[in-house]
Amino acid sequence: MQQQLAQLVAAATQEASAVATRAELEAFKARVVGPNGSLTQVMKGMATLSKEERPVVGKLINEAKKSVEELLAALLVKVENAEIAAALGASVDPTLPSPDAPAGSLHPLSRTRERILASFRKLGFVVADGPEVETEWHCFDALNTPADHPARDMQDTLYMPKAFRSADAPRKADEAILLRTHTSSVQVRTMLSRKPPFRIVAPGRCFRRDAVDATHSANFHQVEGLWIDRHVTLADLRGVLDFFVKETFGADAEIRLRPSFFPFTEPSFEMDLRSPNLGRLSDRWLEIMGCGLVDPKVLELCGLDPKEWSGLAFGLGLERIAMLVHGIDDIRHFYNNDTRFLRQFA
Amino acid sequence: MKVSFQALSRHLDLAGVTAERVAEVLPMLGLEVESVTTFGLAPLPLVVVGEIKSFEKHPKADRLSVCQVDAGEGSLRQIVCGAKNFKAGDRVPVALPGTLMPGGFEIKVSKLRDVDSAGMMCSSEELGLGKGEDGLLILTPRQPAVGTPLNSLYGAPDTVLEISVTPNRGDCLGIRGVARDLAAALGLTLKPLTVKTAAGLAAAPSAADAVKFVRSSSEFCPYYTLRTLKNVKVGPSPEWLRRDLEAAGLRPINNVVDITNWVLLELGQPLHAFDANKVSEGIEARPAREGEEIVLLDGKKVKLEPGVCVIADARRPLVVAGVMGGADAGVTESTTDVLLEAAWFRPGEIRRVARRIGVSTDSSHRFARDVDPAGVELASRLATDLLIELAGAQVVGPAIAVGQPPRADVTIDLPAGYVAAKLGTPVADADVSAAFARLGFTVKPSAAGCSVLVPSFRSDVTRPIDLVEEFIRIHGTDKVPAGRPIAPLPGEEDALTSVFTREVSARLVGAGFTECCHYSLRDAAELERTLGADQAARVAMDNPLTAEQTHLRASLVPGLAGALALNLSVHADPRGLFEVGTVFRPQADGTVREFLSVAFAIVAEPVTRSWKSREAFDGLRAKRLLQDAAALAGVAAVRLSFGTATGGLWQADHAAALVDRGRAAEGACGVLDLRWTRSLGLKSSVIAGEVCFPRAAFAEARKTPRFEAFSSFPPVTKDVAVIVPVGVAAAEVESRVRQGASKAAGKEFALESVSCFDVFTGPGLPEGHRSLAFELRWRHAARTLTDEETNQALGVVIATLEKGAGWTVRR
Repeated sequence: MQQQLAQLVAAATQEASAVATRAELEAFKARVVGPNGSLTQVMKGMATLSKEERPVVGKLINEAKKSVEELLAALLVKVENAEIAAALGASVDPTLPSPDAPAGSLHPLSRTRERILASFRKLGFVVADGPEVETEWHCFDALNTPADHPARDMQDTLYMPKAFRSADAPRKADEAILLRTHTSSVQVRTMLSRKPPFRIVAPGRCFRRDAVDATHSANFHQVEGLWIDRHVTLADLRGVLDFFVKETFGADAEIRLRPSFFPFTEPSFEMDLRSPNLGRLSDRWLEIMGCGLVDPKVLELCGLDPKEWSGLAFGLGLERIAMLVHGIDDIRHFYNNDTRFLRQFA
Repeated sequence: MKVSFQALSRHLDLAGVTAERVAEVLPMLGLEVESVTTFGLAPLPLVVVGEIKSFEKHPKADRLSVCQVDAGEGSLRQIVCGAKNFKAGDRVPVALPGTLMPGGFEIKVSKLRDVDSAGMMCSSEELGLGKGEDGLLILTPRQPAVGTPLNSLYGAPDTVLEISVTPNRGDCLGIRGVARDLAAALGLTLKPLTVKTAAGLAAAPSAADAVKFVRSSSEFCPYYTLRTLKNVKVGPSPEWLRRDLEAAGLRPINNVVDITNWVLLELGQPLHAFDANKVSEGIEARPAREGEEIVLLDGKKVKLEPGVCVIADARRPLVVAGVMGGADAGVTESTTDVLLEAAWFRPGEIRRVARRIGVSTDSSHRFARDVDPAGVELASRLATDLLIELAGAQVVGPAIAVGQPPRADVTIDLPAGYVAAKLGTPVADADVSAAFARLGFTVKPSAAGCSVLVPSFRSDVTRPIDLVEEFIRIHGTDKVPAGRPIAPLPGEEDALTSVFTREVSARLVGAGFTECCHYSLRDAAELERTLGADQAARVAMDNPLTAEQTHLRASLVPGLAGALALNLSVHADPRGLFEVGTVFRPQADGTVREFLSVAFAIVAEPVTRSWKSREAFDGLRAKRLLQDAAALAGVAAVRLSFGTATGGLWQADHAAALVDRGRAAEGACGVLDLRWTRSLGLKSSVIAGEVCFPRAAFAEARKTPRFEAFSSFPPVTKDVAVIVPVGVAAAEVESRVRQGASKAAGKEFALESVSCFDVFTGPGLPEGHRSLAFELRWRHAARTLTDEETNQALGVVIATLEKGAGWTVRR
């Protein structure tokens, strides 16, 4: 009996080496432990044995059964491994490059814009917008700009023909339609359409009748800011600008407000920046933006009572900031769209 | 405006104040300093007077001379020189070796074409004395001693500050105005101006005057004065006067003209001098008449616009008032009697006229910025002093004045605490009063605060808020601390255009696209391609600067196609490019509307090689990006339909136009017109997409999505394939499938999805037909669907489809 079992296990072990597929495994399993399997037959023979023989033979059979089960388990692993290998194919060299294109990138002007908007958002300024083609009233008159101001000149400002009608900026009377020269026109639209208090920033494209060179561009971008509330002060202006500059240029950047003149603010200032981290422009006062308290005349023209409301406003050039932040020396790079430039800022 | 340190010193005592300090202080007063330059001879201890004893031609260079120069050292120096304007015995400046020239280079002992040269003889320009005659500065007429340091022949150098004056500060277009601000800032006292000629004006000419009448009949000339000066000796101005003009960048002409210019620089009041003998009868400021012309001093002949203010005699216009004199009655060497004009003209009109005739003069610049009416007579008197002193003029009586000064001093009531309230920081009333006093304003206490008398030279200060600016200029902006911390206002959100721009850019960047930024102004050819010739004219500008930038862009696609071509031409792989920006499109109602556009473009076949092949980009992938972009703008994919794109930028039969049933979006995608992209240098076809939205699409706040319950029972799927003529659009078939499948589900259960999984043309199908196969998925909310139900539903779908002409369902 013992010999019979040993032969059975040996035969099964030998047969197992030929099993490669799941079907062969199932067939093999049936031949050994199936209802008519070789081991099953031996187990059935137990019934003919005497009481004394049974425990001894039973032990032998259990040992043989255990061996067969181990054999089957090992075969299952072998077969599954073969199946997985077939499903996946050959192994992959992970050091090969991915054929997919990498993610794209935002334009440096967009990145700079978003960074600026994010810092003003922390101070409660939300984004507002307005049309790029504007009425002369919104761009100049409502901003207290005299009728004969040089900025309105055909030499400096791009105009649309008399017949042009804008769906977004209908004329109030028969004023000219022009390409806005600053985003300050959004100040006007916001004051006319919203109830104070509010704080807005308006990023946008502006136009001047300028020849293109390293520092001039026929279109450029500004970010305008306006805060209308009760009792807005010069100290508030300083606080807002100081915060913005430290957010954008680092904690060791300083500002100064240099008195200047704009028709729509009084008092008016140029804000200068000085920072130790601007390459060859480090540690020098650099003109960054115009700002001031909203002129009472502008509040009046935009339907707000200057006795109740006051405000501050500022406007900065996006290209200028992006050039300073990234050390870019020629404004034309922004509009050439050479990807060797664009992808440097990803 | 050029102001020299010496000029400022005439008006205030600047002992102990350096030019550098002045250059630091002025900008903080609102007077931006654009440059600081040295005027006159800088200290050059090693430049001495030398005498050219003899010279001969350089043996190897025709243009050079080898000179023997006595520089007072006991022996002669040999110096090689390139100039030609000297003779033996001339005395010239000699820079000895070791001199650092104003241009920054150092003089060394050297060889010039093999000949030793020990120093340099200098020209006026090389010494920083301005452009003089060509060649060496010949000092012979001055008879200086050989060996004398050159500096001893010249005065101390001056510092010239070029100041940019903002349009509101007409008072600072005179040196005294700048000095007044500087004095206020530094706490110094402005020296009084001493004028000898007596004040006082006459209403009409006396017999001694050189004119019979002085009149003004122009609304643009409310105040005009004229003075007769006789026996004037016209000649060169003295050295100091010439120097002052040159320091300010003006060219000396003759003593009379120079005096009027000097007073203009000093006080900011332009003056004009006529030759009295060339003036017929009298002077009148009057509107120009129809057809009148004038030849200006610069030789330009100008047709006068009727109504423009001219200064005329009885016969003809002599001057375009306040702008430029004519050639006819100017002062020349032979002038003996002078009529001196000092007047006030309306600023806006002067600005308009100067621009119209295309000239800007020192005079028009100042009149356009509102000169001080109270300074008109003062300037006339100061010039008279100088004409007497420097040209021997004789005064015959007071100036004749017509009209009245149009403005006077202004009193502003300043409420107590107003300045502090605007500053947002406490300030003492005494500090405020002191600052105003330093500016020449008179402060008196009043019941409500104080009243401030602002002299007429400050026409820009008329309101309390203007006084705040004046105070802060003098007080210093650095003394205002940063204000209170501020909290955001609740419920405030960014404009949706901004949110959309951010989100759609992120989507495209994630898909591998690189953002571009193109000019909004495009050429006519591009717009004609985009919109057609008729419509292109509707976005043309009135006064474009260049032929390349004449129209507003109507699409972002041409810019992107150009950028693809540019990048390929420089061997940079552009991959996908995109842009977000405003485009302008003519509308059926006659207006032009602004759209926020999103566009992308990509070369269909990958540009760079890869070890593993990638799928080419195609129009249907572009479609997905457009649908995603539209969804971010709140336009759901179901609202969009794609029809055939016609002409323009797009290739026929390989591009689609996008139509939004809600009219909030429009666009197109697919292959760009191949002839066009090839003409740009792009060999492979270009796939592009553009979707744009009017501003109104972003007007309403987005709805917050509400939760909808979904079924926990399994769905049932069924397939149906239908053979249709090739002209039938897939969308039409799909729509019919949906229609049948929804109808079949009725209210009992629901159609969950329809997806096209196979499109087939070829053997086994009738000629000119194709097969489209769809998977339908239904689901019941509360139980599992039975086979019977779904088979019945499929039957309804099949019946619906077979109603289509020439449509057969495959079984």
